[in-house]
Amino acid sequence: MVKFYSTDYSYDYPFSAVTLAYFLRYPNPYSRHVASTDTISRSFNPETQRLTTVRLHLKRSRLPPAVVKLLPKSAVGTTNPDGSTQSFILERSVVDVKEGWMETESRNLDWNNVLSVIERQTYRRPPASGDKESTDVTVSVRLKSRIGEQIRKRRQRWGEQASAASVTGGEAEEGAAKQGWFSTWSTGAIRSAIEAISLQRTEKSQPKAQLGMSVVLARLRNGGLEAVLAGMEQDREVKL
Amino acid sequence: MSASLAPECNVLKERYDSCFLKWYSEKYLRGNATQDECAPLFNAYKACLSKALKERGIDQMVDEARMDNKDNDAQYMKPAGG
Repeated sequence: MVKFYSTDYSYDYPFSAVTLAYFLRYPNPYSRHVASTDTISRSFNPETQRLTTVRLHLKRSRLPPAVVKLLPKSAVGTTNPDGSTQSFILERSVVDVKEGWMETESRNLDWNNVLSVIERQTYRRPPASGDKESTDVTVSVRLKSRIGEQIRKRRQRWGEQASAASVTGGEAEEGAAKQGWFSTWSTGAIRSAIEAISLQRTEKSQPKAQLGMSVVLARLRNGGLEAVLAGMEQDREVKL
Repeated sequence: MSASLAPECNVLKERYDSCFLKWYSEKYLRGNATQDECAPLFNAYKACLSKALKERGIDQMVDEARMDNKDNDAQYMKPAGG
C-alpha cells in the first residue's frame, strides 16, 4: 500500500526570492535536525535558462518508538537504542526563471527497505497578474513501506534453511524470534502501520518546513543575502 | 552557510556557495546569465566532496539513487505549462 500527503499554499514573496530561499533554507530555526547540505552537481543550460541542482542533505532523526517496535532487530541495527539515527536525502531541483517555475524532488537514500519517502514540490509564479509578490506552492509526499518485501524474501530463505542442520545458533534464534513476531502481525498490517505513523509525522513536519522557509524569506526581505547568512550563523551556534 | 558533511571540504564549499549565491541572485534571476561562472570553484569543491563520499562509503548509494532519478528527467524537461 502507499500513502499520500498533499497540500497547496502560497508565499507572499516573489518567485525569485522563494527559489533563492529554497537553496538557503538550511539551517533555519525549524531545521535543527539537518546536519549538512552538499551540492553534488549543478548544470546551467544557457539556451533554456534552466538550472538543475542535485544536493545531498544529512538529517538526524528519531524513529518513532512505535515504528522501532514493529521492526525486526536486523533492520534497526544501525539505530541507537533511543531510536536516533541519521539518513541521507537526495534532492533534485530544476528552476526555469523564464517560465517562472521550480520543481523539486527529495527522496531518502537509506532506510529504503523500511520506508521510501518521495517529496515533490512545485513553485510557480502566478500567471500574469499585476501582483508579483506571491508564489504558489504545491507539495506532494508519497510514503511506501517495503518492509514486507524484504521479510518475504527472508522468510523464503528461512524456509529453505529450515531443514538444514548447519544453521548457526545465532541465525536460528533470530529466525525464530522473527517468526514469532510474524505470527501476530501480517506483513500488510506492518506496512500499513509504518506508513500511517509516517504520514502523521509528515503532517507535523510539513508546517515546520513551511515556517522555516518563511523565516529565511523574512530575513531576505529585511536584509538581503547578508541577513540570511548572518541568521544561519546564529542558528548554527544555537544548535551547538 | 550550511555545513558540508565532510568538514575538510567546508572551506571549498563556502567559497563555491558564496560565488553561486551571488551569480544566482545577481545574474540568473535577472535573466542575465550566459554561463555558470562558478564552475571552477565548483570543480574544486566537488573533487574534495567526491573523495569524502568515497572514503565514507556512500558514493555508491548516491550514484544508484541518481541513476533512478534520471528516469524522471523526461518529466522535468517538459515545459511546465499549466
